[in-house]
Amino acid sequence: MISQRDIRLTVNGVSYEGSAEPRMTLVDFLRHELGLVGTHVGCEHGVCGACTILMDGKAVRSCIMLAAQADGADLMTVEGLAKDAELHPIQQAFMEERGLQCGFCTPGFMMSIHELLQTTTDPSDEEIRDALGGAICRCTGYESILKSVRNAAAKLRAST
Amino acid sequence: MGGFEFPKSIDDLPVTNPKWVGRPVKRVEDPQLITGRAEFIDNVELPGMLHCAILHSPHPHARIKSIDMSRAAAMPGVVTTLTGEDAERWTRKSYTTPEGWGTYVLATDKVRFVGEPVAAVAATSRYIAEDALELIDVEYELLDPIVDAFAAAQPDSPKVFDEHENNIMYQRKFTWGEVDEAFAQAGHTYTEKFRWHRVGANPLETFGVISEWDLVEDTLTCRGSFQTPSYMAMGRAATFRLPSNKVRFIGQPHGGSFGGKGGGRGTDITAMLSRKAGGRPVKWIEDRIEYLTAGGSQAWDRHYEVSIAVKNDGTVTALRVKLLDDLGATAEGFGATGAVKPMASFTGCYAIPAAEYDLTLVATNKLPASPYRGMGPPPHNFVLEQMMDIAARDLGIDPAEIRRRNFIPPDQFPYIIPSGNEYDSGEYEAALDKVLEMSGYEELRNEQEEARAQGRLIGVGVVSTIEPGVFDWNAYTVIGTRGIGIPEGVNVSIDTMGKITARVGFALEGQGQYTVVTQLLADYFCVELEDVRVVMADNLSAPPNFGPGGSRLGVAITGAVLGAAQRLTEKLVKVAAKLFEVQPEDVELLDGELRVKSVPESKISVRNVVGIMLNRSDMLPPDVDPSPEATFAWTAPGRVEPDEQGRVKSYLTAANACHLVMVEVDPDTGMVEILKYYIADDCGTRLNPANVDGMIQGALAQGVGAALLEEYVYDENAQPLTASFMDYLLPTIHEVPMPEKASLVTPSPFTPLGAKGAGESAIHTTPAAIMCAINDALLPLKVRATEVPASPNRVWKLIQDAQQQ
Amino acid sequence: MKPAPFEYYAPTSVAETVALLEQHGPEAKLLAGGQSLVPLLNMRLARPTVVVDVGRVAGLDYVREEDGALAIGAMTSQRTIERSELVEQRLPLLRAATRLVGHPQIRNRGTVGGSIAHADPAAEYPAVALALDAQMRVAGPGGERVIEAADFFVTYLTTALEPSDVLTEVRMPLLPGGAGWSIVEIARRHGDFALAGAVVTLSVDSGSIKDPRVVLFGVGATPIRVREAEERLAGESPSEALFTEAGKLVSEVIDEPLSDIHATAEFRRHLAGVMAQRGLAEAAGRVA
Ligand SMILES: Cc1cc2nc3c(=O)[nH]c(=O)nc-3n(C[C@H](O)[C@H](O)[C@H](O)COP(=O)(O)OP(=O)(O)OC[C@H]3O[C@@H](n4cnc5c(N)ncnc54)[C@H](O)[C@@H]3O)c2cc1C
Repeated sequence: MISQRDIRLTVNGVSYEGSAEPRMTLVDFLRHELGLVGTHVGCEHGVCGACTILMDGKAVRSCIMLAAQADGADLMTVEGLAKDAELHPIQQAFMEERGLQCGFCTPGFMMSIHELLQTTTDPSDEEIRDALGGAICRCTGYESILKSVRNAAAKLRAST
Repeated sequence: MGGFEFPKSIDDLPVTNPKWVGRPVKRVEDPQLITGRAEFIDNVELPGMLHCAILHSPHPHARIKSIDMSRAAAMPGVVTTLTGEDAERWTRKSYTTPEGWGTYVLATDKVRFVGEPVAAVAATSRYIAEDALELIDVEYELLDPIVDAFAAAQPDSPKVFDEHENNIMYQRKFTWGEVDEAFAQAGHTYTEKFRWHRVGANPLETFGVISEWDLVEDTLTCRGSFQTPSYMAMGRAATFRLPSNKVRFIGQPHGGSFGGKGGGRGTDITAMLSRKAGGRPVKWIEDRIEYLTAGGSQAWDRHYEVSIAVKNDGTVTALRVKLLDDLGATAEGFGATGAVKPMASFTGCYAIPAAEYDLTLVATNKLPASPYRGMGPPPHNFVLEQMMDIAARDLGIDPAEIRRRNFIPPDQFPYIIPSGNEYDSGEYEAALDKVLEMSGYEELRNEQEEARAQGRLIGVGVVSTIEPGVFDWNAYTVIGTRGIGIPEGVNVSIDTMGKITARVGFALEGQGQYTVVTQLLADYFCVELEDVRVVMADNLSAPPNFGPGGSRLGVAITGAVLGAAQRLTEKLVKVAAKLFEVQPEDVELLDGELRVKSVPESKISVRNVVGIMLNRSDMLPPDVDPSPEATFAWTAPGRVEPDEQGRVKSYLTAANACHLVMVEVDPDTGMVEILKYYIADDCGTRLNPANVDGMIQGALAQGVGAALLEEYVYDENAQPLTASFMDYLLPTIHEVPMPEKASLVTPSPFTPLGAKGAGESAIHTTPAAIMCAINDALLPLKVRATEVPASPNRVWKLIQDAQQQ
Repeated sequence: MKPAPFEYYAPTSVAETVALLEQHGPEAKLLAGGQSLVPLLNMRLARPTVVVDVGRVAGLDYVREEDGALAIGAMTSQRTIERSELVEQRLPLLRAATRLVGHPQIRNRGTVGGSIAHADPAAEYPAVALALDAQMRVAGPGGERVIEAADFFVTYLTTALEPSDVLTEVRMPLLPGGAGWSIVEIARRHGDFALAGAVVTLSVDSGSIKDPRVVLFGVGATPIRVREAEERLAGESPSEALFTEAGKLVSEVIDEPLSDIHATAEFRRHLAGVMAQRGLAEAAGRVA
């Protein structure tokens, strides 16, 4: 019998302790052990980007990481964007620009965008494409997502 | 319908200044989605829930000699297991169109495709359930795989179903008008063969379900990402021989469907596992490999031979289409309807008087075909539009011009096409002109000339298509579906505080229909969007409904909402009439108030009338009960059975789009780059223009995928080679163009507010347009791309062959 | 789509890692960024019973210039390389190659050592390593050793590493001053593994080509150096015609390429030549 591993990590500023089999993927741990179900699973082989979260500030695929690899890490998920009722500028931008339809890929997109806008406050379309090229949206055809990023960047610039 | 007069346009709504309908209002669906709180099925955890994993056949065609579940069943954590024996005992074979080509949800005698469910387990976690699959011992006796559609159609082919004479699921030739004569008299005839490979929906969320079988009450409750919960429920009742009111289906918000959510097998398997596990809920989340190889993922595996008859001036006089469609192993899941739907727009935007459809559906050992956005016409439009270009080239007519010469003129609507469907309205030439103007067509052609002179392969495609909207079952009667009309219902109520609630039978899927319902009710009763709430009702609480599909829901739900609002208003009017001591005919609803028509000061708000209804029985008229709510189910008017040649008025609306695309083909690599893209789209009244725009852009992306990237590949032994997203290539933000778009509005005379079906959208047009552009680019080399997708390998090979000649 | 069970260890030193690998033998698998291994685990295509995660081993995450080369710790993320000023200034070829590896989210986790040890025939880093004559520093049960790139890539997903070896450092020699370089590839979509690609380096000395290197990837079972083409180029003066000829030669001489659903062997053979020709032209354009 394979022993469980204790895992301690911080998600959206909150400390969590849990245990998991070594083989458990990080996304399954977040969703089913910690109940943070806003991060979605689309392909489980790292291609679609639906499960993207931030780990120590960097966008990563949580479906191709083991929970054990994230022991001690500082994570951020979609649940960490809004502060109570106040939506994050990225979320506001997605609503204004229609950056989503079914909304299943959206949390992953927003996490990649969050990373981009931390370092690049006024991204060019090329930089946006580069940051989002590894994520699949089957509904929108990306135009409104591109606009959402421009809009979010403007909002964030205005607020600082 | 029921003596109802639906408002013909937004201006006819009972509000002086409509604030919501027709505007790109923000979506009411979004807050829960952008915060990650929408309750997708895999977010749902129920007490005592088990997890299912399914063992899929590794062989395309084999007899099952034995299945031994004992090692799996004995594994710690496994609660119960399931095989075909259980399915045989408890269920019926799947309902199919055409009839009689179904199987049990778990293989019994033999397996017919790689991925076919063979056994299943329910365990305390998905991890353990998958471990247990490795302990199932199945002995197979391999049979010859049937993979080539033409070979499968031969009488000597091995058979997918032993009980059938051969693999032909359906064969029929439809003739509409004097086709032979037209070809005999035509100045020019052109014939070409085309191949469209399998593509499919691939919503980002796969199918998922939780089933719970209450053994004491013998009821089944299923939660899941169902596109059509009430139809799924009826199907399950039939499958399990359960009274239909003992089957409850709850649709969860889902991550897209595009027709490809499937789910019948997974639902039945989890239901039976729950039954065997003493009623514990059992969850199954299809994984991506399962979706790609065994799910509702694959559509349109087509071999075409097409001819057109054309006069010297470019007028097309007849169209002949011969189609061999490879439906895969069974006819479950409505995959076959995709081959019939082209009859709803067979001759496209053109006034072609005669046509013939020679249709053969064949079974092979591939995954059973499923519906996919567009439901079949996209490949048909691709072949028709290539033929238009072929004729144009030969006759020296510009591709835009040959289309213009053949368009159905605006004064001929409503217009009945040879295959029987009726188009409601259209301004095809205006849409074409719009696109030509936006793109600076002449200038593009000059650019192309210059590029050609430098040896570059640049091409322009310009294509006009129809999007049949508001599907009806009668479109598919010829292939065995039953019924005429599809009710879409809504219940609308207003409470004492004046707040409005609408109950619908479909869940969030992405199109924004909850927003449309909200807009309609907010304008109808002149309130803010926040005053309206739309909720999903399960199949036992919702009015008759179908949900999204066949570009129908926007129109259908508009009819339902307006009908219910009108019915509710009639009650309010009676109460107000009593109050003002006038006749009901003298009272009207305007701007959220019930007014006496001739006495403007005599008015009372809707909210106060509702208050009276609920709280002052003494003031109620005798024929009004205290229930400020109403239900209405809308169905398309004037639908009947098809005639002996399959002709029928099926789809109620005909939206139109004209696309112009410019591409460059790299002769050294076969890569196609989209340089420019323009769209003029006419889907009648736009209830929410931003919704429509989203449909166009999203469907455009899917069209780019179909034309250039996406393809389900099988090897010569019927093994699927596209089992991951590394192999089945979905377009990303790098591949999808951001076109310039324009809208035209030619309202439908047949629908409430004049809206047309618009959900399938650009997928009808984009593949055809891109392929036309590629062929225009290849013109100097005198080769033609007839195979979709135009992968770099295929395009390069064509160029290579041309250069070697 | 869940991994089969395995034991998991997270050693903190190279020595401990080697010891664990040795203890568990070929059943053990080393885990770096996981961007290739975890998908294989999820699909149960890789089934180690023991996973040894090197993610917590200190001191394997660095890029520094040493003796005319960039010494890169095996656990350095691809993203670090992409953002390193040192790499950009001293070995821009490596940065350009990095930007072709998957997507930012993959590069955030994927490591230099992982990519080289995984040895996907379509991967960029192995081709760069071969073109530059990189050296792989390896820690194994018998101590440290260095493997030359030319000896490292054995066949499809197989390297000269033994099951208990840990790749600790990759040394990428800098190009001589004024040398031209390029990395070009054709992929079905942006960011996909290449159908074919080429890494080219060359210098031009008094009008003639010196030390040309032509390495192809995505074409054979390993990255392949095409010496016939290099010989044809050496000493010649750079021209479009020469590059076209070299490209043709590449197509002629390479072994039968891979065939898959995206490209037949015949197409890859052709693309190999096109990539070589384009790579040469681009590299020549960069000669200072
Ligand atoms: C969507 C997607 C797209 C991608 N696109 C590309 C692409 O275009 N080009 C490309 O090159 N790659 C691509 N990759 C692969 C990616 O670059 C991987 O990061 C890389 O191949 C492996 O690095 P890793 O650190 O993740 O290694 P892991 O996945 O952890 O390990 C890979 C293998 O290497 C072994 N290994 C790792 N480190 C060491 C070591 N130090 N010593 C000994 N053995 C070791 C492991 O045991 C394992 O067998 C893609 C991956 C994904 C998911």
